[in-house]
Amino acid sequence: MSTALPFWLDVSRWLPLARGADRRMVRRALAAAEPGIREFAILLSPAAGAELEVLAAHAQALTRRHFGRTISLYAPLYLSNYCPAECTYCGFASDRHVRRHKLTRAELDSESTALKRLGLEEVLLLTGDRLATAGYEFVRDGIAHSASRFHNVAAEVFAMTEAEYAGLAAAGCTSVTLYQETYDPTRYALLHLSGPKADYGWRLDAPARALAGGVRSVGLGVLLGLSEPVEDVLRLFRHAVWLRRQFWGGGVAISFPRLRPQAGDYAAEFPVSERTLAQIVFAFRIAMPEAPLVLSTRESARFRDGIAGVGISKMSVASRTTVGGYAESTALSSPQFEIDDRRGVEEFCAMLRAKGLQPVFKNWDAVYREPQCQTSSAST
Amino acid sequence: MEDGLRLGDRVFRSRLLLGTGKFSSAEIMLAAVRASGAELVTVALRRFNRERPDDDIRGPLASLDGIVLVPNTSGAMNAREAVRAALLGREITGSPFVKLEIHPNPHHLMPDPIETYQAALTLVREGFFVLPYMPADPVLARRLEDAGCAAVMPLGSAIGSGQGLATFSMLRMIIRDAGVPVIVDAGLRSPSEAAAVMEMGGEAVLVNSAIAAAENPALMAEAFATAVKAGRQARRAGLMPRSETAAATSPLTAFLAGEGA
Repeated sequence: MSTALPFWLDVSRWLPLARGADRRMVRRALAAAEPGIREFAILLSPAAGAELEVLAAHAQALTRRHFGRTISLYAPLYLSNYCPAECTYCGFASDRHVRRHKLTRAELDSESTALKRLGLEEVLLLTGDRLATAGYEFVRDGIAHSASRFHNVAAEVFAMTEAEYAGLAAAGCTSVTLYQETYDPTRYALLHLSGPKADYGWRLDAPARALAGGVRSVGLGVLLGLSEPVEDVLRLFRHAVWLRRQFWGGGVAISFPRLRPQAGDYAAEFPVSERTLAQIVFAFRIAMPEAPLVLSTRESARFRDGIAGVGISKMSVASRTTVGGYAESTALSSPQFEIDDRRGVEEFCAMLRAKGLQPVFKNWDAVYREPQCQTSSAST
Repeated sequence: MEDGLRLGDRVFRSRLLLGTGKFSSAEIMLAAVRASGAELVTVALRRFNRERPDDDIRGPLASLDGIVLVPNTSGAMNAREAVRAALLGREITGSPFVKLEIHPNPHHLMPDPIETYQAALTLVREGFFVLPYMPADPVLARRLEDAGCAAVMPLGSAIGSGQGLATFSMLRMIIRDAGVPVIVDAGLRSPSEAAAVMEMGGEAVLVNSAIAAAENPALMAEAFATAVKAGRQARRAGLMPRSETAAATSPLTAFLAGEGA
């Protein structure tokens, strides 16, 4: 772990606002022309929580202004679930006795074909932590192969060096998602017992390395439930702001993964209710109006239907959290976590349309990749 | 054709261009295009989807007569990407027009003047009628005109911001000196702003968010069309000069008439 924590992790100035703002301050925060960390903190307060409907109305108006009446869709695709790390909350942790698998090229191809049949054009590739057998080259080759099939390829994998991220970008990776899980270094150490991921500082700097390496955008998040949520999301907000200042051409998206209170054998020590989750989403939308806000199928169909377009602008659909599972009815591994919204693409899209939201499958084009990337994908 | 908008080798009756993103459904987008009377409609190449017809932005537009598609390069971060996107857009649509958009910052989406200028040089050479989306900078406008662009498209304010004509005084300078049509693009919120652009001598406006985000997009499209027409008529009719002071009924210099010759 690196010695000094970056200045932007200090949120002590804003914690009192997040805990004790009053109704008048909430109203002023909602009327602010240029909301920032101060307004964000106020919108996380219990006083703001008492006015969730007002926050929702603001969030919906801003989502419409920046993203229109649309929801972008993507699906996760697990390349491997072998993992050397011991993260206490994770279904793929090294000490779990679960079924493990690494996709062969042929399997990746048939998984891709199955996702293409569903009409999806954005895929998020996932692995466990770094292993010699599932390391940088494995991920890069998976990206190159996927880039030959999909217009948009994102990666949610282990923290890499800047040179490795440059390699992913050249292979066709447009976005890297990397959750810090928790920004609290003490909690982080308790939850990440061993493996490369146990290095808090190396992970903290990874999104900056990805942008420095030429990846167009990064996705940040905290795994809600692991640590005190208000402090964590304040730090998440500052991380996003800091990255935007450092990399003026880089995009920053925010995801909202939540440990479900009753799911799995790891009980969330800091359970986050649906109301709190919604408040966090609304606060992000109001204080960071143009950032893509992402929600996965961890959440229930009821919650997802309600928050689509009300802050959230991008959603996964028809997800499998197993290695394999799109092409074959039986998965090749155990799941990383249980999904709640199990609806298929057409059913989910019908819901969106009924709500006056247009599902967007393709919002990017492979033509934007540098030509040498396309040849490199053909040669791998 | 009377008072047409001349772009490239074409003349258009309508001076309202429509963007097609952000609508809740293809049907609502089509209704807005119809109600607007727009003949030039921009479409994002990144929203072309040949594999899933219900996600393809072009499909529904094919059912409309008299529409010229203008592929845009939104999503491009630099000149190379924009040129590739433009070439692919022409390949697919056959349109000689391209709306050149390069905005490397995904948050405020402000156009990159340097990359836009470089891409414009290449695309003009490739035979496109280039319509560059640009910051409201009078010098850049002339540079893009000299590069051979068919029009310039300075922004009123940031895309989707609804901040209206935040760049009013710059737009006035651009319009005053322009030798090609000036089409004000981005940031417009209300029809009155579109009318203001036309009154100050803008040749056309491009609107998307203000229509797509309205409660009734088709009605808002019609409102913009009416405003653009009214503003253009006002421009042609000749606006009365604005005066700081009222014209005094008893002239202040009347006493001078008594001076002997």
